[in-house]
Amino acid sequence: MAAINLNTVRSTIEGRLATELALSPAIPVIFHNQPYVSTPNSSWVQCLVNFGANEYLTLGGTTGSSNSVIGIIAINIFTPKGAGPGANLTIGKRIRDLYNRVTVSGVYFDPPIGPEVVASPAPEGFFQTQVRMTFETFEDL
Amino acid sequence: MAFYRGQEGSVKFDDAGSTAAAITSTRSWSLTVEKESLDTTAMGDTYRANVGGLISGSGTVELLYTASSADETNAFIEMVNTANDAGAALFELYLYSTTKKITFDGVITSAEYSATVGEVQVITCSFVTNGTITMDV
Repeated sequence: MAAINLNTVRSTIEGRLATELALSPAIPVIFHNQPYVSTPNSSWVQCLVNFGANEYLTLGGTTGSSNSVIGIIAINIFTPKGAGPGANLTIGKRIRDLYNRVTVSGVYFDPPIGPEVVASPAPEGFFQTQVRMTFETFEDL
Repeated sequence: MAFYRGQEGSVKFDDAGSTAAAITSTRSWSLTVEKESLDTTAMGDTYRANVGGLISGSGTVELLYTASSADETNAFIEMVNTANDAGAALFELYLYSTTKKITFDGVITSAEYSATVGEVQVITCSFVTNGTITMDV
């Protein structure tokens, strides 16, 4: 056993979304710290993975013990402004179904929140919603 | 002055009562050692008198379910379902390191299995001691 590889967890989460959104109809997806210039009147998705609380699960020191690692995924969905919410919710459903109570490579995804409408889209010029969900994985030392 | 945190503790167990092995994924343990008191107050005494009587212990071990098999962790969580238990199972409860421990033979008297949505699965086993309790704490 070893300490958790954060990039492995991130790759599991991001890879799942990238694979789904590469399917038809394909939608551009960007991740943390990536440059992206959006095209007006287009649809695109931003996925932000954040690691949060780490908690003791079992007794023990640096070997033979386990921790819980919890994080949150925030996925922003951008669709053309002034065209109603339908296209946005269609993408939202694809994303929601992708993670809802799913377990992949030891990462447990909780039921998602949203898509919730974001009152002040960033960047402006789009209709924006957000899907959020917590996830948990276990670190065995 | 040294202090110790809970995660420095551990539990070892052997259902056969010989060589104890670590119980994996232990989340906590507790042991209460009690001594009965015998009233030796004589007629005419002003103050009550007591002497120590029989000593016994009881406690719990809380562990996470790991689906292990053919090891002492598995034996530990199934021991409550053993017929004709002679009370010879060896318990070693460690406070710190591999030497600061409380050792005794005992009987597992209950095991509570549970599954709750959104939480890791926890099993809580209760035990009572059988015979001598050796303290090296």
